[in-house]
Amino acid sequence: MSGSNHDTMSLNLKVWRQKNNKDKGSMVDYKLDGVSPDMSFLEMMDTLNTKLVKEQGDTIAFDHDCREGICGMCSMMINGQAHGPEAETTTCQLHMRKFKSGDTIVIEPWRAKAFPVLKDLMVDRSAFDQIIAAGGFVNVNTGNPQDANAILIGQENAELAMDAAACIGCGACVASCKNASAMLFVSAKISQLALLPQGEVESEARTRDMVAKMDELGFGNCTNEAECEAQCPKGIKIENIARMNREWVKGAFAARK
Amino acid sequence: MSSKSKRSALTSIGQKQVMAVTGLLLCGFLVTHMLGNFTMFIGSDSFNKYSHALTSNPLIYLAEVGLAALFISHIAMAFRVVLANKQARPTPYHTYKKSGRGGTFASATMAYSGVIALVFLVFHILGLKFGTQYTAVVGGVEMRDIYKTTVEYFQDLTHVIGYIIAIVALGIHTSHGFWSAFQSLGFNHPKYNPKIEFLSVIFGIFIAVGFSAFPIFCFIQGGH
Amino acid sequence: MTQENTMIKKLDGKVPTGPVQDRWKTHKFNMKLVNPANKRKYSVLVVGTGLAGASAAASLAELGYNVTTFCIQDSPRRAHSIAAQGGINAAKNYPNDGDSVYRLFYDTVKGGDYRARESNVYRLAEVSSSIIDQCVAQGVPFAREYGGTLSNRSFGGAQVSRTFYARGQTGQQLLLGAYSAMMKEVSKGKIKSYTRREMVELVTVEGKARGIVVRNIVTGEFESYSADAVILATGGYGNVYYLSTNAKASNASAAFRAYKKGAYFANPCYTQIHPTCIPVSGDHQSKLTLMSESLRNDGRVWVPKIKGDKRSPDQIPENERDYYLERIYPSFGNLVPRDVASRNAKLQCDAGFGVSATGMAVYLDFADAIQRKGEDKIRAEYGNLFEMYERITDQNPYKVPMMIYPAIHYTMGGLWVDYNLMSNVPGLFVLGEANFSDHGANRLGASALMQGLADGYFVIPYTIGNYFASEKFAKVETTQTEFATALTTSKNKYAQLLAINGTKTVDEYHRALGHIMWEKVGMGRNEAGLKKAISDIQALRADFWKNVKVSGLSVDVNTELEKAGRVADFLELGELMALDALERKESCGGHFREESQTPENEAMRDDANFCHVAAWEFQGVDAVPTRHIEELTFETVKLTQRSYK
Repeated sequence: MSGSNHDTMSLNLKVWRQKNNKDKGSMVDYKLDGVSPDMSFLEMMDTLNTKLVKEQGDTIAFDHDCREGICGMCSMMINGQAHGPEAETTTCQLHMRKFKSGDTIVIEPWRAKAFPVLKDLMVDRSAFDQIIAAGGFVNVNTGNPQDANAILIGQENAELAMDAAACIGCGACVASCKNASAMLFVSAKISQLALLPQGEVESEARTRDMVAKMDELGFGNCTNEAECEAQCPKGIKIENIARMNREWVKGAFAARK
Repeated sequence: MSSKSKRSALTSIGQKQVMAVTGLLLCGFLVTHMLGNFTMFIGSDSFNKYSHALTSNPLIYLAEVGLAALFISHIAMAFRVVLANKQARPTPYHTYKKSGRGGTFASATMAYSGVIALVFLVFHILGLKFGTQYTAVVGGVEMRDIYKTTVEYFQDLTHVIGYIIAIVALGIHTSHGFWSAFQSLGFNHPKYNPKIEFLSVIFGIFIAVGFSAFPIFCFIQGGH
Repeated sequence: MTQENTMIKKLDGKVPTGPVQDRWKTHKFNMKLVNPANKRKYSVLVVGTGLAGASAAASLAELGYNVTTFCIQDSPRRAHSIAAQGGINAAKNYPNDGDSVYRLFYDTVKGGDYRARESNVYRLAEVSSSIIDQCVAQGVPFAREYGGTLSNRSFGGAQVSRTFYARGQTGQQLLLGAYSAMMKEVSKGKIKSYTRREMVELVTVEGKARGIVVRNIVTGEFESYSADAVILATGGYGNVYYLSTNAKASNASAAFRAYKKGAYFANPCYTQIHPTCIPVSGDHQSKLTLMSESLRNDGRVWVPKIKGDKRSPDQIPENERDYYLERIYPSFGNLVPRDVASRNAKLQCDAGFGVSATGMAVYLDFADAIQRKGEDKIRAEYGNLFEMYERITDQNPYKVPMMIYPAIHYTMGGLWVDYNLMSNVPGLFVLGEANFSDHGANRLGASALMQGLADGYFVIPYTIGNYFASEKFAKVETTQTEFATALTTSKNKYAQLLAINGTKTVDEYHRALGHIMWEKVGMGRNEAGLKKAISDIQALRADFWKNVKVSGLSVDVNTELEKAGRVADFLELGELMALDALERKESCGGHFREESQTPENEAMRDDANFCHVAAWEFQGVDAVPTRHIEELTFETVKLTQRSYK
């Protein structure tokens, strides 16, 4: 009657191992028995790592932190899909009951020029921070802003802004896009702020600056296939990319310099 | 905002928007081209008169230059986008599975269908515009008998099949390209987008079926 | 273990005098200022980029100070503040339901069971409104009414609706607001942000905090940084218990190593246990997931009346169910405070009434609510929580009762700070959950976010200026001996961990420690249990340093080594928590001593002997630390006993 299932699973894992950024890396096969269907995917990885420690091996490096689907730290391409097969689910919230005993599971790091691999499944996503630093903020200092209720925001826009703001910055959009494009990530921030009067003021300049930074960092271009939307663990829509494109047009024509 | 980053119309979004605008204009060209060609079904005189009216207008050179510019910028942007996209992921995945709702056969083959259309364009111009010159007199005016050239050209079955393959590729190309242009230009509305996406497919079929009618018609006209 | 009384200091919290509502204003005026042109001459290190750290870094950089930030994750945006679901309190009184700064202050002092400083709490309530204004200005998408004004809800049993929220992701949105403010200053060059760095040592020069040593998680290298002040905003220590709602990287090492450098650790025994978490499913469990407390508004908590009843819940008739909260607390029922609900759940399970395969869960049943309100209404209110529950447990809570169990959620204790948020080590400031200050012995729902941001946006920008303007700062280089020594100490510690090469994994020790803590230093504590805990932890620690196995190399990424460093600290901190719990021979808030309860089994304070903060001074790993005290005086709010009957 409880969720725990006493049948354990055996899995064949193909995991990308790469010592460091300079190493070439390769897929390595592991066999793992005793996997409980109640484990999360990361707990399955913990189990594999414990086994590796006992066998004197080097543990598999992977990013994770909150393990409740909100920090955006966990990643992993699982069987060719960012965060695995479940829609709107991060790797840490994916449970092993979604797999069958005897399955082969292919586990790879995010792949993009702008996300270099640091070790095994760990990649460097600092490019996202650089894009935010290029303009993903409202230029307001801590101090005495007007009363919060002095800025009225219609519920519909507030909800749309929140839809976009739900982005956890995990990079699944880049990983899943066949072009390694960051447009869903960038457009989510641009949309959130363009939909709110506080952010709308700087929207054109923000869009120009963030897009320029995104291009400079070597992300690909959007070819409107919505792969990012399908694999985004937070269900961010490509409508946001259209909104960014719109803001970009406005900016391109409004620019004085 | 510290806006020192260099800007040009050729940011990633700029490139897409140039492709979108040129693509939509080219779609417009396809439609007018097809409508004009329909005069073929009325008869050889109508077709020749229509063709003559077009080519004898001095503005035609301007239009041709404009059209060439549309093609060239569309293709040039496509090359840049495809190259940049290849560079954005230097190491491919061992396993890669797609699930995006915008991912179709059309979207996956845009570059190929585009190249097919380009090659076709060259043969199309060589075979017809610069094809055999015949003369006809319609209503007392001497003009090129393009009708005869066209019918003759499509007596060759390989020309018919080649034409149809290319035009189907173009139809597939536009079925993704048409709605994509709206998305790239910033038009995406939850209420209207499904309609645009549907229209996009209809447009592709319209192009493929509409243009395919011409070589078949000519093939039959030629006595087959 | 006897307490040496000879060296006890009475600590001075540097609390201003005068009427409580004027103290912060007066203090702000009395503090010295740093000339705008001189601010760029001062540098600050901020460790941790959660709500407190990111807001402090942004605000200080805006003022002109040179700020360097450090975070353990790959981006400052991922700090665990992000996981807070419910909301943030502010005394805006928008709903016109009688809220005020005074009421928020009063509720917080009372909620903390009279173990917080009145002055700090009043200041917190006073700046709460500005936090909302600031966050809205940054573009935080709070929930709105149709007319465009901000929505409020009542939270955690508060009698007014003062909680602002952004769906169930308030923490995320506030953190992203603070992060974006921080990135704005990064782009201006006023903040240098270092990621994937773990602080391993505090460096003091001539008694002042002047730098830190960090370990670069990617390269495994140790790096030294110097500055004029150090701010720790490194969160709480809930992961001492192994299983908690904290993130995996949440740890106590930064704060604990500052403690070992002389900073006092205050009230370590004050921990908060959240009653509505998803139960443990097996030994593989790596963390616990919290579900919003709002579930208790409609769910009814029960266990079978027969011990060890293995029937499925739908087979258990109404008269064989024990709705124990409703039975024991007829007026509050299922809405009793967190600590009461948690303690009762554990009592039921320990007595053998628990459900699930492990026997460590109680039912939270929505059947009545679904019947009364309809499934649609319940779906609208709790849909996302039900979904999350089903995702994790594979059970549909619309059909079968949820199972819940308490889990460690927040720690009210932390490094001791004065009214200026400075520890007893000059130049070492501690913000957010890492300090001990504002929540007393128990934190109210939706107050953690408020405190983190209050400290960072509205307190530290003033008080750090006062510190800079009051002291002289000689130039400090990372090449001088104090840094070299700290660097060597750190390197040796990690080298030593690698060299043991024993037989048990780091996680095995961490689990064992967690078990001791949960059983003996958890929800119910008693003298015998605490003494046993102390000796058990000492034995476990000794074994750890003999038998732990850390695989891998010291260079580059070595997650086992990182964990080992943290667990080594937890093995000392756990003992300190037990010792503090042992010495505080009263019950208050989250600290429940079984010897000190009312006839109705409620926490009973001993104001005559324990109306004070206990701040511990490190004396050596195996030596007994010194317990200093800071007297707490309640001039405004009268001391009364809580009752939820």
